[in-house]
Amino acid sequence: MSTAASSAHASAGITVRDVTKVFYRGKEPLTVLDKLNLEVTPGQFVALMGPSGSGKSTLLNLIAGLDRPSQGSVQVGQSSVSNMADSELAKWRSQNVGFIFQTYNLMPVLTALENVELPLLLTKLSGAERKKRAQTALRVVGLEDRSTHYPRQLSGGQEQRVAIARAIVNDPSLIVADEPTGDLDRQSADDILTLLTKLNTDFGKTIVMVTHDPAAAERANVTRRLNKGQLS
Amino acid sequence: MNIPLLAARNVTRNKLRTVLTTLGVAVTVLTFVLIRTVVAAWYVGVEAASKDRIATRHKVSFIMQVPKNYADTIRQVPGVQAATWAQWFGGKEPNHEGEFFATLAVDPKTTLEVYDELVVPEEQKKAWLENRQGILAGDVIAKKFGWKVGDRVNLVGTIYPGDWQFEVSAIYTAARKSIDRSTVYFHWDYLNESLPEQRRDKVGWIVSRIDDPGKSATIQASIDQTFDARDIQTLSQSERDLNNSFLGMMSAVLGALDIVSVVILIIMGLILGNTIAMGVRERTTEYGVMRALGFSPRHIATFVLGEAFTLGIAGGAVGLAIAYPFVNQGVGLAIEENMGAFFPYFRILPDTAIAAMVMALVLALVAAVIPAWQASRLRTIDALRQVG
Ligand SMILES: Nc1ncnc2c1ncn2[C@@H]1O[C@H](COP(=O)(O)OP(=O)(O)OP(=O)(O)O)[C@@H](O)[C@H]1O
Ligand SMILES: [Mg+2]
Repeated sequence: MSTAASSAHASAGITVRDVTKVFYRGKEPLTVLDKLNLEVTPGQFVALMGPSGSGKSTLLNLIAGLDRPSQGSVQVGQSSVSNMADSELAKWRSQNVGFIFQTYNLMPVLTALENVELPLLLTKLSGAERKKRAQTALRVVGLEDRSTHYPRQLSGGQEQRVAIARAIVNDPSLIVADEPTGDLDRQSADDILTLLTKLNTDFGKTIVMVTHDPAAAERANVTRRLNKGQLS
Repeated sequence: MNIPLLAARNVTRNKLRTVLTTLGVAVTVLTFVLIRTVVAAWYVGVEAASKDRIATRHKVSFIMQVPKNYADTIRQVPGVQAATWAQWFGGKEPNHEGEFFATLAVDPKTTLEVYDELVVPEEQKKAWLENRQGILAGDVIAKKFGWKVGDRVNLVGTIYPGDWQFEVSAIYTAARKSIDRSTVYFHWDYLNESLPEQRRDKVGWIVSRIDDPGKSATIQASIDQTFDARDIQTLSQSERDLNNSFLGMMSAVLGALDIVSVVILIIMGLILGNTIAMGVRERTTEYGVMRALGFSPRHIATFVLGEAFTLGIAGGAVGLAIAYPFVNQGVGLAIEENMGAFFPYFRILPDTAIAAMVMALVLALVAAVIPAWQASRLRTIDALRQVG
C-alpha cells in the first residue's frame, strides 16, 4: 500500500442527492430512503447511526455501489455511481472501495495473507507483487506474524483486522464499514476503531461507518442520524 | 494464489462431505470401469478365438451326440487339414468339489494337430499319447490342484458316474490366448471302452482345422451338406461363432449391465448436484462478499464449476486407484484363470481408464451447471443480507 501522499485516489468526496430507495415486498412498496441528501468531504470520517431498519445499510450500499437508488444520484469522487452498469460498478468497487463487514466475512479456506490478497486477484499484478502488497497491508493492521493462520485460528478482533487489511490492500479512496465493531468486545472494538482512525488521519481515507455504538461514533469527525428515510 | 486454485481450495471446507462425495464419484467410476472391462474383455475373447477352426455338432442341439466316424468324413472335405473329436466328461476333483473346470475326452493325437497352440514338452507329449489313462492338464488347473507329472489322480464323473482313475502325463501351456489353460484332456478311448455297446462310438462334437480362414463359411457349408442325407445332420460354426453363441446369454447380461451403469451415473449426478447445490447455498454470503469486492458473476460460476471439477478429478483418480489393483491384480486374474477361454485378457484397457476419468469430470461439471448458474445470478445485496 502506498501512502496518502503518493496515492492517485487517496480520498474521495461523496455527494448523495435527492436519493429515494424503494424496496418491494411482493407488490407492496417500502420507501426506505426518501429524497435524502448527504455530503461527505474528501478525507472525512462519517458515522451513520439510527434505529434498526432505518436504512443505514441501504444507504451505505448505495454509496459503495452495491445497489442503485430508485431516484436521485450518488457521486463518489469523479464517478457517478448511480449511473453505472453492473459490470462497470464491479470494476469501480474493486478499485475504489474497501469493505468492512460486521461479521468479518473472511474466506475460511484461505489464510490471513490469502484473504488479504483476494481483491488483488482482479488486478494485473504479478503473484510476487500481490503477495508483497498483502504483506504490507497485514503489517498496517499489525498482523504480519499471523499471515499463515486461517480465520478459525484468529480471534474476532484479529479477524476484523485481517478484513481491514483486505479492505485497504487495493488502496481505495473510500472505506465503508457496516457495524465493524458489532460483534466485538470493548477492547477489540477500540483497537479496530483506533485502526480506522489511523487509516483516516494517516492515510487520508474517506470513511463511512454505520454503527450502533456511541463510543464508535465519537471517533468519527461527524455523526449523522438516519430516521424515517431522512438524515439529521 | 490464483482464481483456479481458489476454486479448488473450496473442497477443503467441509472435509467429511468432500471425502464422501469423492468416494461416491470413485465408486461410480469403479462400477463403470468394471462394466466396461467386462465388455472389452469379452471382445478380446472373441477376437482371440481361432479363425481357422470349425466346430461341427448335432444339428438339433449341442447336448446331442454325433457318430465318431463323422470325423473321417470331414477330413475328406476340401480345405480341411485335420479333424478331431471331443466329448464333454464333466469331471469333479473330489478334494476341490466347488471348482469348475472343463474335462474333455479327446483323441490325443489329432487333438494336438488341431489345437497346435497347445505347448507340451516333447517327452510328456509322448508319455500322454502312450498312456491310456493319461491326462493332459492345463498349467493353471494343475497348479490349483497341486498336480505334478506322474501323479495318480481320481476324478468323479458327473455325466459318466463313477470313480475314474488317471495319471497326470503332461501339462500344457498355451502359445496363444485362444485356449483355456484350465482344461483337463484325457483319452476318449478310455471312456468309450467302458461304455455299454449301444452308447459307444459317439462324440459331442468334431473340430477341424482348415487351410484358409477366409473360406471358413464355404467349408462349414460343405461339411453340413455332406451329412444332409444322413440320419444325423450337423451344424458347423467357426470357433469364434461358437464362443459368441456361448456368450449369447452373456451379452444379454452385458446389455442389462450397461443400463445399470447409466442409471448409476444418473443417480450419482443427482446426488452430486444436490451436494454442490447445498454447498452453494451455505456460501451465499461469501459469494456476496466476493461480488462486493468486484468479482463478476462469471467468476462465481467458475468457483462452483472449479470445485466440481476438482471433485471430479479426485473422484476419478481415487476410483481408478481402487479399480486398477482390484481388477488387474484381483478379479481379473481370477477370471483369466477360471474363464480363460472366454475372458483370456481381463484387464483395464487404457481407453476404459480414460473414458472413466472423462466421465467423472463430465458428471461433476454437469451436476454443477445449475448450482453454478444460480450462484452467479445472486444479487450482491441479497447475498450479503443473508448473513450467517
Ligand atoms: N434487498 C431488500 N429487499 C427488501 N427489503 C429490504 C432490502 N434491504 C433492506 N430492506 C428493508 O429496508 C429496511 C432498511 O434495511 P437496512 O438493512 O438498510 O436497515 P439498517 O438500518 O441497516 O438496520 P440494522 O441496524 O438492523 O442493520 C428494512 O425494513 C429492510 O427490511
Ligand atoms: Mg444494517
